Amino acid sequence: MKNRFSTNLTPLLASALLMGALALMNGGCSKAPDQPEPKAAPGKPRVALIMKSLANEFFSTMAEGAKKHQSTNSASYELVVNGIKNETDLGEQVNLVEQMIAQRVSAIVIAPADSKALVTVLKRAKIAGILVVNIDNKLDAGVLKQADLNIPFVGPDNRAGARKVGEALAKQLKAGDKVTIIEGIPTAFNGQQRRLGFEDAVKKAGLTLVGVQSGRWEMEAASNVAAAMLSEHADLKAILCANDSMALGTVSAIQAAGKTGKVLVAGFDNISALQPLLQKGQVVATADQHGDQLAVFGIEAALKILKGESAPADQTTVVDLITK
Amino acid sequence: MTSTPKKLAEYAAMLGIWVGLLVMFGLLSQNFLTGATFSSLANRIPSLAVVATGMTLVLIIGGIDLSVGSVLGLCGSVMGVALVNAHLPCWVATLLALGIGLVAGTLNGVISVFFRIPSFIVTLGMLEIARGLAYLSTNSQTKYIGSPVEPMSAPIPGLGISPAFLMALFVIICSQVALSRTVFGRHLVAIGTNEEAVRLAGINPKPAKIAVFALLGLLSGLGGVFHTSRLGSSDPNAGMGLELSAIAAVVIGGTSLMGGRGSVVRTFFGVLIIATLEAGLAQVGASEPTKRVITGIVIVGAVILDAWRHNLNARGFRSLGKRTNP
Repeated sequence: MKNRFSTNLTPLLASALLMGALALMNGGCSKAPDQPEPKAAPGKPRVALIMKSLANEFFSTMAEGAKKHQSTNSASYELVVNGIKNETDLGEQVNLVEQMIAQRVSAIVIAPADSKALVTVLKRAKIAGILVVNIDNKLDAGVLKQADLNIPFVGPDNRAGARKVGEALAKQLKAGDKVTIIEGIPTAFNGQQRRLGFEDAVKKAGLTLVGVQSGRWEMEAASNVAAAMLSEHADLKAILCANDSMALGTVSAIQAAGKTGKVLVAGFDNISALQPLLQKGQVVATADQHGDQLAVFGIEAALKILKGESAPADQTTVVDLITK
Repeated sequence: MTSTPKKLAEYAAMLGIWVGLLVMFGLLSQNFLTGATFSSLANRIPSLAVVATGMTLVLIIGGIDLSVGSVLGLCGSVMGVALVNAHLPCWVATLLALGIGLVAGTLNGVISVFFRIPSFIVTLGMLEIARGLAYLSTNSQTKYIGSPVEPMSAPIPGLGISPAFLMALFVIICSQVALSRTVFGRHLVAIGTNEEAVRLAGINPKPAKIAVFALLGLLSGLGGVFHTSRLGSSDPNAGMGLELSAIAAVVIGGTSLMGGRGSVVRTFFGVLIIATLEAGLAQVGASEPTKRVITGIVIVGAVILDAWRHNLNARGFRSLGKRTNP
């Protein structure tokens, strides 16, 4: 009896569960786009902004800037913002691009998590007739050529920015002084560019570069690396950090070593948490690449192209030197 | 129960590995064996040390906690928000951070015990929840705090070590005493060895199990406070991957992942070995990929060494047992 009861119920239960799941999925889907079909709003393009990690202040600021821009220009376009959980999770970003292709957005503005690995999926987007604009982290020129793709880039010149920061720092040092660099994740293009920019400045000022190590973009990792550098090189004069989080970590290591004021620090990004340290002189210089405007520039470029204006060549955005 | 001389011999083995590392890096780099290096080592380990201490107890009962890094990040973030945005006094912010750690840990324990869900799954969920809350509470922003929190992690002049390090030592000593000298500690080992037998012996294992997770949550909160004070800022990304470093330290210290065996003091040596390795490799100037390869090799090597030594001991025991008690 009990047995028959349960066998009778099983398909019922299964279908109920299935229906529930379907209902949930429907609910989840219908929430995001208010219009049922892409053709519902002719003349009003939908732009998908695909970022790296929204947990990173730099990218969350960028997303905020884009949302603000959209709300003041709500008549001219719609915006869908997405980010990945982890900076290095390429698979997730590829999935996001595919979802946006499926949603048939008019344009994708993307800050690629990797300068090579995203090219294949972006090519699929192009074939599907979607405009792609590259911001922040430039796609590898060689790979783009190989894939026979032309994707306009809108973003800062990290190398030039880092060179400016390095030069500002070098002004307070004399030739022969020992300096080290704490770089980001070595595979990231912008990190490589910043390191090169720092090295340009170091070479130009005749400083002695005694080490380059990765702080993996993180505060604590940088702090540990800086502490090791400080005990290895007792006469170290400056540490150049490829982002501000790592500069914060470096400052804490200098403090712990009792060398505040004896070792100069430079950063990159101009995050808000760095302000008090700039005021106190514990960080000498950083660079502001106007992250809040970066996505906006990309979106504006996309809108122009959608309107039929010819595709602009790569566009370099300003990087300002901040010393106080 | 292990006899005192044998325990000392085990500590000596761990100490040997650590001294070996020190000597190696001393030879490879110019200024490794200096006061500055030891001071920075003592300054960097408190947060990992307290978390690994709690993790030891959790592994001893046969559980695991993957959420420690996220909980540490959340507690640090809340502390930052409390100080910078809400302008609360420092002791209130600290208590708030510790309280949130305690709540997160207690939830881990209660859910896994009462719903009989493996702690691996429950804490995996908590890993996501706590990290998400850390980003929400700080709006994904790093917050600079500065002087109010810094003294705790600043080296005491003349001594070279920070108050945080002393507090971590205190936590380690208390935990080791609780583990090897109290009924609670004996219960933990018994639960890890055979929970069913404990229940049949008329002891309810649930309170002890929940207490261990709650304690680890609290210690993760303390780790968050140490972390925040060391960096002078709160960072929502803090403690990412810390769970793996903590588990590595515990396992290097010879605690069994299957439960029933472990020592807090030896975990502390595990922490020292990991931290020394990181500091030494940075000082030598090893590249990032090399660092990772070497760290991995040392973790596995240390565990192989421990397993081998453990086998030798067990064999020694058997022959001893044959003689006295046939």
